[in-house]
Amino acid sequence: MKQRMVCALVLSLVSCWANAVEGDPQPSVMWEYFHERLLNNAEFVFDEKVQVSVPPFAEDARQVPVEVDARALTGRVEKIMLWAELNPIPQVLNVYPSAELEKFLAVRIRVEQATPIRAAFLMDDGIWHVGSARIEAAGGGCTAPSVVRAQEGWEDHLGEILGARFNTGDNSRLRLSVSHPMDNGLVDSIPEFYLDQAELRDLSGAVLARLEIFSAISENPTITLGIKGQPETQLWLRDNNGNEFTAHIP
Amino acid sequence: MRYLFIFCCSFFLSLSAVADYQLTPKKIAENTWLVEGSTDNFSLHNGGNIVNAAFIVTDHGVVVVDTGPSFAYGKVLRAAIASVTDKPVIQVLLTHHHPDHVLGNQAFDDVPIAALAGTKKLLQEQGNYMAENMYRVVGDAMRGTEVLLPTQLVEEGLMEIGGHPLRLLSLTGHTGADLAILDERTGVLFAGDLVFYQRALATPNTPGLAAWLADIDTLEKLPWKLIVPGHGPLATDHQPFVQMRDYLNWLDSALREAAQAGQDMNQVLRMPIPERFAGVSLTRYELIRTVSHLYPRYEQQQWQRLDQ
Repeated sequence: MKQRMVCALVLSLVSCWANAVEGDPQPSVMWEYFHERLLNNAEFVFDEKVQVSVPPFAEDARQVPVEVDARALTGRVEKIMLWAELNPIPQVLNVYPSAELEKFLAVRIRVEQATPIRAAFLMDDGIWHVGSARIEAAGGGCTAPSVVRAQEGWEDHLGEILGARFNTGDNSRLRLSVSHPMDNGLVDSIPEFYLDQAELRDLSGAVLARLEIFSAISENPTITLGIKGQPETQLWLRDNNGNEFTAHIP
Repeated sequence: MRYLFIFCCSFFLSLSAVADYQLTPKKIAENTWLVEGSTDNFSLHNGGNIVNAAFIVTDHGVVVVDTGPSFAYGKVLRAAIASVTDKPVIQVLLTHHHPDHVLGNQAFDDVPIAALAGTKKLLQEQGNYMAENMYRVVGDAMRGTEVLLPTQLVEEGLMEIGGHPLRLLSLTGHTGADLAILDERTGVLFAGDLVFYQRALATPNTPGLAAWLADIDTLEKLPWKLIVPGHGPLATDHQPFVQMRDYLNWLDSALREAAQAGQDMNQVLRMPIPERFAGVSLTRYELIRTVSHLYPRYEQQQWQRLDQ
């Protein structure tokens, strides 16, 4: 009896290990799933050059800051994917950058529980370079009542964009915050209502970066993008109800 | 199997042991006693006893300032009071609504529990959430603890109890509703969490660091002889005020400069903490929390409307 229990214990431990992938800096049973679902089982490498930073714990699970710094990566980026593995809505952001974008971004997200956070860069060598972090959280960020909707007249502020461009040496950092409830459909029978597309364009209209946005992003989304040089830019946004918003960033 | 059983037993015994608060009142002035907590963070091992509670043995009975982090703490505090005086507890004063100061209220449900109106409102709004969080981080020591709202409201002014004229001040810096109490007979200032000393200040409900700095000025001007901070050791000199002002000013300018430089939160919470605060506990931990609470306000000051 005793031996059988020990065997069962060992087997269950082994099967846990089998699910996490070797070399994963944040061992997670969900890696295989997301590797298949998001990265199409393509070749990948856990790469320390993709630095994902989060606080050690989520003081506010509705507004968890995530920073992705992959400036140490060389080569052209085809696509960036960001996700929180144990979230009910894991995907955060997909970015299709031009060569004008720096390999740096920051965004605030909701987390429902402690979770690994992944940022994957598909480089022109065809390999996904994956950076990881883990956030501790009491949780509930995805299902907490909206702060925006509790404010009377929030509709009047929908799509207001605050922000600025900051010089960082030769380059710039664009920091933007958009008034939007980013309803994810998980709270109080309020249907999904969130920004789902964005484009950063130069003044001639050429696209510097295209963004696919998911409702794991916090309400009143705050996003920071690194951009080469010090150009004036325009931001175009659309939500899933078809509202469009634009901003000029001097 | 037998060892597993013994291990489990000792594990659960060690868990239940954390509810044994060792509270030893220390006499700090005439009729006045302090029950000092650690300057650590909440943990399974300290039962949330990171807070300073105090009491004054007046001619009419005992006035208690803050009831601690749990029902169990409140009960032990009451026993500790009974160990130094036969007089009954007749009054509780709550300095503010944070869980480590008010969740012992149940042990004093037979006496008036007084607080500022703002404190009652905040406890009503946030109490259950805060208590839930305490169960999560403190564990079994919280057993049986529930939020008990204040039963009496006080305002700024003089409250005379048994030969102790207590000057009540209604301030806002820490939570928006902060009661400070100066005992004019002994000169003891019960500063609540308006004063953290040798322990980093916590900002979840502050209306802003400027308001807090103004309160520090107000408190420092009072005719006090002894300061009882909400967290940290007693002081007879100005050092707690000096440290608070220094820390608040540093925090304010550091957050402003970070926002001016266009930094996002993760960069801000990695910033160096000045060497002179090395003796202050939990600075990094509280900075991480403060960035979450306050940094968006500093960011917005640097931003313009960009939509067209």
